[in-house]
Amino acid sequence: MSTMESPVIPARHTSKGPAPATGANRRRRGVNREGLEAGKRSTRTILWILLAASLVLYGFPFLYLLFTSFKTPIDTIAVPPTILPKEWTLANYANALGRSGVPASFINSIQTAVISTALSLVLSIPAAYGITRYKTRSGRVFIMAALVTRMVPPVAIGIPLASMMASVGLADTPIALSIAHTTISLPLSIWLMSSFFEAVPQDLEEAATVDGCSRLGALWRVVIPVVSGGIAVTAIFAFLASWNEFLFALLMTAVRSQTTPVVIANFQTQFGLDWGSMTALAAVYSIPVILLTLLLQRKIVAGMTLGAVKG
Amino acid sequence: MSSRKTISKLAAIGGICTAVALVATGCGAGGPASSESGGSSINVLVEAGGHAELQPIADQCKKDTGVNVNFVELPYDGLFNRLSSEFSSGTVSFDVAALDSVWLPSFKDALQPIDELFTDEAKKDIFPSLVKEANVGGHFIGMPAWTNAEIVLYRKDLFEDSKNKADFKAKYGYELAAPTTWQQYQDISAFFTKDGMYGTDVKGGVETEYLAHVLQAGSPMVLDSNNNVIIDNAAHKQALDFYTSLAKDAPAGAAQVDWAAAQNLFNQGKTAMTRFWAHAYRQIPKDSPVYGKVGTAPMIGGSAGVAGVPGPWYLSVPKATKNTDAAKKFVKCAYDHNDLAIQSNLGLAARVSAFQKYQDQPGYESFKPLIQTLNAPATATRPATAKWQQIVDTVLVPMLQKAVAGGDSATLLADAKSKIQALLK
Repeated sequence: MSTMESPVIPARHTSKGPAPATGANRRRRGVNREGLEAGKRSTRTILWILLAASLVLYGFPFLYLLFTSFKTPIDTIAVPPTILPKEWTLANYANALGRSGVPASFINSIQTAVISTALSLVLSIPAAYGITRYKTRSGRVFIMAALVTRMVPPVAIGIPLASMMASVGLADTPIALSIAHTTISLPLSIWLMSSFFEAVPQDLEEAATVDGCSRLGALWRVVIPVVSGGIAVTAIFAFLASWNEFLFALLMTAVRSQTTPVVIANFQTQFGLDWGSMTALAAVYSIPVILLTLLLQRKIVAGMTLGAVKG
Repeated sequence: MSSRKTISKLAAIGGICTAVALVATGCGAGGPASSESGGSSINVLVEAGGHAELQPIADQCKKDTGVNVNFVELPYDGLFNRLSSEFSSGTVSFDVAALDSVWLPSFKDALQPIDELFTDEAKKDIFPSLVKEANVGGHFIGMPAWTNAEIVLYRKDLFEDSKNKADFKAKYGYELAAPTTWQQYQDISAFFTKDGMYGTDVKGGVETEYLAHVLQAGSPMVLDSNNNVIIDNAAHKQALDFYTSLAKDAPAGAAQVDWAAAQNLFNQGKTAMTRFWAHAYRQIPKDSPVYGKVGTAPMIGGSAGVAGVPGPWYLSVPKATKNTDAAKKFVKCAYDHNDLAIQSNLGLAARVSAFQKYQDQPGYESFKPLIQTLNAPATATRPATAKWQQIVDTVLVPMLQKAVAGGDSATLLADAKSKIQALLK
């Protein structure tokens, strides 16, 4: 910021009085303009450098994973490690995707994540709407209690949840795992949706009710379209929470419902770690999430903006 | 309006997806239901690496007994958590579990005795230390499925090189060959530590190798037969001092070296020798610079002779299964066809006769040293205490990491003793 502000200061001084349009003043204004532009350029450069650094920081692990998935077995364990493969191969992909149980695990992951996301939205939207619109004491207690559940380590509830699911005959089913995943994503979903509903002026709903809408009609026809970006953001978070979840999947799935994160972990065995196949499957597994994020990119940005203008 | 349309579309798509998912949820995508009561289909819970060992056996057992096997693969750490969770809940989703030997004492109360499978003939064909380990509390609760032990792997090409042979003899006064004493191992390690290469590795991240040295020095590991902690005795100190003495001829950062790191170093051609689990011989990648250049030798002996720590896995039947008959049929069948596991890419079995059947075939050069190590009188399994895994994770490995980083062995062993005593209280 200082690089931008310093050249501006002389310009403010010049505007205080009627300065004669001498050549010296014109030159000074020219210098000020150039200084301002130089300041903007340097700010932009710094921002680009920071952006590039962030990109490398976040992107490098994934790129390294991607490159490793194309390496030969000996290349994956090179000492010291290399970034690019010496020899490119698709054998890891063939091995990973040809492994028994992998296609089924993909289907299980999709089923589980879709159900969990739907459950999260179906439960969090009315809950958040009620909390933000009715502003009761119990609502405030409820939303704080929802936050507290995020503080409980998943491992502490994993085993009781697994036992509960088994006792109601849901052992080793995607619905059981979806319910377990919803316990992770629901509190965050309620909080997110609450902040999005808060950003919607009550006047909008009142106008809708004046036009003949019921309360639910106003919610469905007016409020939800306005917070659709927020819903997309919440859906993405809920989907990701389920898609990448490992511990509950480990404890609650067996033959029928094992999800891909567990299958990926299975490449590390007592006899060694198959880096190539593990990274290949991880790369393939990340594709749906990348596609989903790209598909909903505009909605996500809209949702973030909605939260930003709150109040 | 467009926003409303989008929402409606998304809601419709979401609804359809949810409906489809909910309908499909009834069966899942992986296969049949878990633990079908009274059927001839069983679920076998197994560590991911062990699946390959058991698959050919399961195929044969289906033909012989009609028992269909569904494998549930889990990663090693996850398997223990899963077993603990299901055993504590009293309901299990599997009918047979492949258990690491160190877990048997922890789960003994949840497992069915299978004494009838341990006939005299069977006991003769299973390595003595494994027969002993499978018996917990007076009953056999696990049938060995495969076993392993550390042997010595060395770079045959370097050992046979004429210049190396001549230089070694000139320096040490005896022929360069696979080591049979620890003094030779130290000499060879020092000899090959040059030009960016190391004679051996030192593994600070795992405990088994150190424990093998303890056995070779003539002491039981960590606990005596009455469960007294003896980790501060002379044999443990001697073993620890020797273990750390090799660090000067090993790559730096020994505290972080575990099995995977040591295997990588050897397969990359960075170390001339390694003490490693026998299965690693058949797992050297074909594009490794050492592929086809590796020799094998039995684990080296100390004052008590050759000794190793076996790494067996056992097939056990939980008490809570509803398919006891089919489960036991599979366990017996797995014993009967134990040699089929050798044809998997890991190539391990549990029966002596299975190893002997292949020991003279090309590609199985690791079997003779493995048999010798497993049959050695001083070879012993780890102490049968339910706290063993905790002792390893919280005491032994941290102690080794400090020792290879230069810690005083006597102080570390005394400290370890008090910590283990506290754990066992």
